[in-house]
Amino acid sequence: MILTQTTAIFVDAYRELNAKKLFWLTMVLTVVFAASLAMIGIDKEGVRFLWFHLGFIPINSDIIEPKAFYLASFSYLGIGIWLTWIATILAIISTAGIIPELVTGGTIESVLARPISRARLFLTKYLSGLLFVALQVSVFSVLSMLIIWNRSGYLEPRILLAIPIVVSFFSFLFCICAFIGLITRSTMTAMLLTLLFWAFLFILNIGDGILVQFHESTNIYVEQRTQRVELARTNTVKLLNRDRESQGLSIEDYQPTEEEIHTKNPLLSRLETSLEKDQADLKSLDMWTKAIFTAKTFFPKTGETIELLNRKLIDPEAFTPVEENEPSVATDPFSDIEIDQDELGQRVEARFRERSVLWILGTSFIFEFFVLGLSTLIFTRRDF
Amino acid sequence: MSAVIDIKGVEKTYKRRIKALRGVDMTVGDGEIFGLLGPNGAGKSTLVKIMMTVISPSKCSGTVLGSKVGDKATLQQIGYLPEHHRFPPYLTGRQVLEHFGALSGIQRKQRKAKASELLELVGMDSWHKDKLGSYSKGMRQRVGLAQALMNDPKLVVLDEPTDGVDPSGRRDIRNILTHLKDEGRTVFLNSHLLSELEMVCDRVAIMVHGLVRTQGTIDELTAEQSGFVITTASPINDAIKSEISTPSMPDLIQSSSDTTISFKTSEASAVQPAIDTLRKHNIVIQSAGFKRPSLEDLFMQVVDTNNGAKPGAISGAKASSRPSNKPTKGGANS
Repeated sequence: MILTQTTAIFVDAYRELNAKKLFWLTMVLTVVFAASLAMIGIDKEGVRFLWFHLGFIPINSDIIEPKAFYLASFSYLGIGIWLTWIATILAIISTAGIIPELVTGGTIESVLARPISRARLFLTKYLSGLLFVALQVSVFSVLSMLIIWNRSGYLEPRILLAIPIVVSFFSFLFCICAFIGLITRSTMTAMLLTLLFWAFLFILNIGDGILVQFHESTNIYVEQRTQRVELARTNTVKLLNRDRESQGLSIEDYQPTEEEIHTKNPLLSRLETSLEKDQADLKSLDMWTKAIFTAKTFFPKTGETIELLNRKLIDPEAFTPVEENEPSVATDPFSDIEIDQDELGQRVEARFRERSVLWILGTSFIFEFFVLGLSTLIFTRRDF
Repeated sequence: MSAVIDIKGVEKTYKRRIKALRGVDMTVGDGEIFGLLGPNGAGKSTLVKIMMTVISPSKCSGTVLGSKVGDKATLQQIGYLPEHHRFPPYLTGRQVLEHFGALSGIQRKQRKAKASELLELVGMDSWHKDKLGSYSKGMRQRVGLAQALMNDPKLVVLDEPTDGVDPSGRRDIRNILTHLKDEGRTVFLNSHLLSELEMVCDRVAIMVHGLVRTQGTIDELTAEQSGFVITTASPINDAIKSEISTPSMPDLIQSSSDTTISFKTSEASAVQPAIDTLRKHNIVIQSAGFKRPSLEDLFMQVVDTNNGAKPGAISGAKASSRPSNKPTKGGANS
């Protein structure tokens, strides 16, 4: 009986979506987007779109392996743009009405008067919304896998990881949509507040990214300034030793005092003051990055969830420049500090990759289960 | 006759202050058609929704089909047509039946056969492929009635089943109700259409202000006010009335006007002395005969007695049905 009832709810959800025409519209757009990915290629001359070389993209198959290029195209364009943004907005528009329609007067009485528990009814309805996205992302992922196989000769089943990852990502938003829909019984309110919540998560994520970037660049400043202070100090001690030798004094057991060093090299104080300022900035940024990290712990990590796919699919080595520069060591302690953007990018990337899958998915699912639990409780106790 | 519905002390308070039900006791026997009446706001729909687990009672004891009120498994044996139902407009008539049949746990093969049978029963077989959005209110009501029967229920709970249905449709629904009774099912009917109820119900209950004020068979309930009524052309003064009220006469039960006197008897011979007295005073008798009050009379009396709502508002809006004929292919959207 459970299977019959569950199937009936899923079929009804499909019919509802079908009636709105959005199901097939989204599905057709998904296929079109997947097909457009097939039109992008890479060879020794560069990136191609159909028969045309895109000369403004400075990469070719010598720099990036074709397989890595296609996987990156799938991950950054297919998942990062299509499924994460456009298809998700369409999915929210399509599914926002599932719970409000269920709890509307005139509909709910007929459904509640059936031998099905309220909790199961609500959760099955919720799952039917996720099924919509699961179908969409499955079609896209399977098509993309076949396209990449055809273009690069590699069959990469890890692409199918996009299905659980994107469905999880959508579920973090859909639980809020279902909760608001249940409370307000309004599709429009559920849709708009979900988009607002998503925007909030996006801003939180952007804030986190900016703070981590500041933190890492300040960290580089601190490291390089520390290095410069050490260099300046060493050079000054050498000068003091040379002065003593020229005066015929022994330098054995001679340890110049701080005062002597700073008198000899007045610019050292300026360097040390800058270092102290950078260290104070780093401490402050450390506190803020921890604060935003703690705040994010309580919310779903939509951006990082999608990023998990890149972790699994994209090998950073495939994008590493052929000639790697050695880390620069300052020879002039008073030269300007220049931040290597590649190094900064790698450090930021590493900081984000330090965040465990358990933290990203675990805390996001705790949030989802909490919201779903609360919604289910309200649904089971409410008089309709 | 065993009780299908046997509930006691049902109370429902909304937001801790609005008392919708104040301790309803009700018994519905197996295989009978039971009518629940009451003015707007009496708590009828609240009571029905409690039985159907749509809302939870503040206090309730008793059983429905032998199980505690609110037991989900029991709903497998109950069919329900809610008032103001709004089935999904994107479904066809057949899909509505099959969808709700599936929610009741009926397997696909049985669902299909049952849907065909019921669509024919409610006269919607030629419309089964059309979407509900194109149906008239009466047609939706027919489909609603059919979906309530999909699970072959022992108890059928219908909330305003004839709402929006034309006269011929109402007759069809009455016939279906009788048919259900003949099959041994119990029908619980919540309706404003007193005349409809009077035609089909074995027993009725009248609710006012969250309490059942009276319940029983219509004969039992109206027996109190039934009697022999004499109507005269000129007023009957108190002296004549006193002369009529002799110990040998049946009880004078009411005198609604100066020209009417009623006696608690159905025997014409028992009131002959009264007629003689009236004739002796040269009072012209316009009519004389046994009269049983209608359900509407009873209803109005109960409502008035219990300080209820204005009886005129009870059957006014709800009783009017759209004059659309039995559904024909050309008239669905009319």
